[in-house]
Amino acid sequence: MEQAILVENLVKKYGTKEAVKGISFEVKDGEIYSLLGVNGAGKTTTIKMLCGLAKPTKGKAIVYGHDVEKETNEVKKIVNVSPQETSVAPKLTVKENLEFMAGIYGADKATQKKKAKEMIEMFGMEEVKNQKAKTLSGGWQRKLSIAMALITEPKLLFLDEPTLGLDVLARRDMWEAIRKMKGKLTIILTTHYMEEAESLSDGVAVMVDGTIRAKGTVDELIRQNNAKNLEEAFVKIAQAATLQA
Amino acid sequence: MRGIVFAKRTAKEILRDPLSYIFCLGFPVVMLFIMTLLNNSLPKQAAMSIFEPKNLVPGIAYFGLSFVMIFISIQLASDRTTSLLMRMHASPMEAKDYILGYTLPALLISVLQVCVTFAIGFSLAAASGKTLTVESVLIGAVKLIPSMLIFISLGLIIGSVFNEKAAPGLCSIIVTICGMLGGVWMPVDTLGGPLLKVSRCLPFYHGVYAARHAGFDTSLMISIGFAVVFYVLSVVIIGVKWKKDVA
Ligand SMILES: Nc1ncnc2c1ncn2[C@@H]1O[C@H](COP(=O)(O)OP(=O)(O)OP(=O)(O)O)[C@@H](O)[C@H]1O
Ligand SMILES: [Mg+2]
Repeated sequence: MEQAILVENLVKKYGTKEAVKGISFEVKDGEIYSLLGVNGAGKTTTIKMLCGLAKPTKGKAIVYGHDVEKETNEVKKIVNVSPQETSVAPKLTVKENLEFMAGIYGADKATQKKKAKEMIEMFGMEEVKNQKAKTLSGGWQRKLSIAMALITEPKLLFLDEPTLGLDVLARRDMWEAIRKMKGKLTIILTTHYMEEAESLSDGVAVMVDGTIRAKGTVDELIRQNNAKNLEEAFVKIAQAATLQA
Repeated sequence: MRGIVFAKRTAKEILRDPLSYIFCLGFPVVMLFIMTLLNNSLPKQAAMSIFEPKNLVPGIAYFGLSFVMIFISIQLASDRTTSLLMRMHASPMEAKDYILGYTLPALLISVLQVCVTFAIGFSLAAASGKTLTVESVLIGAVKLIPSMLIFISLGLIIGSVFNEKAAPGLCSIIVTICGMLGGVWMPVDTLGGPLLKVSRCLPFYHGVYAARHAGFDTSLMISIGFAVVFYVLSVVIIGVKWKKDVA
């Protein structure tokens, strides 16, 4: 299978602060891969480096054969990101936001309209499509934010905490939406909900303080740590790392 | 193309804010009415030449442009605080698209504002029996183009350097300086002295002068010079910031 991401010894320093301390992992095409870790572990920083938003200090990152540092423009065309903070144009309607994003990635008017319609259908946003983004509830804004990333038909999509602040039902809705995308594109997901990672991901990496402490399939991590579920495995990995430090 | 798409977004964001209309269109119009009324009720010997329609209308048209500066700086500064900017950075957008995305809508609003101000000023002057010639109106409007660019550049610079809270404050200082030393509200020419010297070092005085007088004069040349310098400066600053955000 084609390789979507190859990361080797990737380092990111902000001044003297080392946010990511030499991580390596691989993701195959069509997978959902989760980056797990407590606050400040370096998940968002890793995503930023992989989508050309932050320059790696050291190391290598290849996205679909393109080096993120040397071929940033190529990478930007095939990836998209739904940032950790919901990011929509507040005074534009749902439909306009979607068309705007498609336009930024080069779609013509007719294509913008067509794709926006598809996204509205896919995310069940019919009832709010003419509502201004700032008047939407948090859950709808999140959905819109993700739809805005998906509308550009990326080969690789980064979802940074897609279910942050969603209620239980909305969260399950979002899982359903993510499952629907599965196989059509590669997804990198970060989340603080282990249940979410467990139910969605093909592979996971657990980050602690800028390093990857464990990686593998969900089952592998559970087995290796003699745990009942991913949450227990995660806690064991994170605590062991903290004890070492 | 990306620049145009982004410009449409910016235009929508600004035009959907009712405050834009109040300040960018309402304010100059209200000023015109008040000052015309005031000028008409002054006894002849007390009348001030800067409030005569031929000076007042271009003056207010010029002054109104300073409000476009406020709006564009607020829009830019607040956009910088949102993660929409992260989206734009992650997209294939480049600094030039981003700059175009603010310049075009600002230019559109400036042109609209100048047209409205001159149209209403023209009618008001006619109504109070002091005609403005169509020619002077047209020439005045065209000669305001470099000034539009000056205020847009200032808005871009302030909006990209300062935050949402500091930007409007800083802009209002410039608005005040512009109104006073530009000679919109204060007869700097007749006051003379050091004040006039300072005025002449700033773009405002020349911009107002250019709008009030016909012909290809040095004031116009100076305005064009300032416009080029400020715009290049804004492009450089935004370009550097755009790259730096991606650290
Ligand atoms: N621009 C920056 N300048 C300085 N330090 C930064 C910057 N961005 C991130 N950091 C630091 O790098 C570390 C990793 O941050 P990051 O945002 O990647 O964590 P995270 O795993 O996404 O956390 P969370 O779960 O809270 O989102 C943190 O200590 C953070 O303070
Ligand atoms: Mg994060």
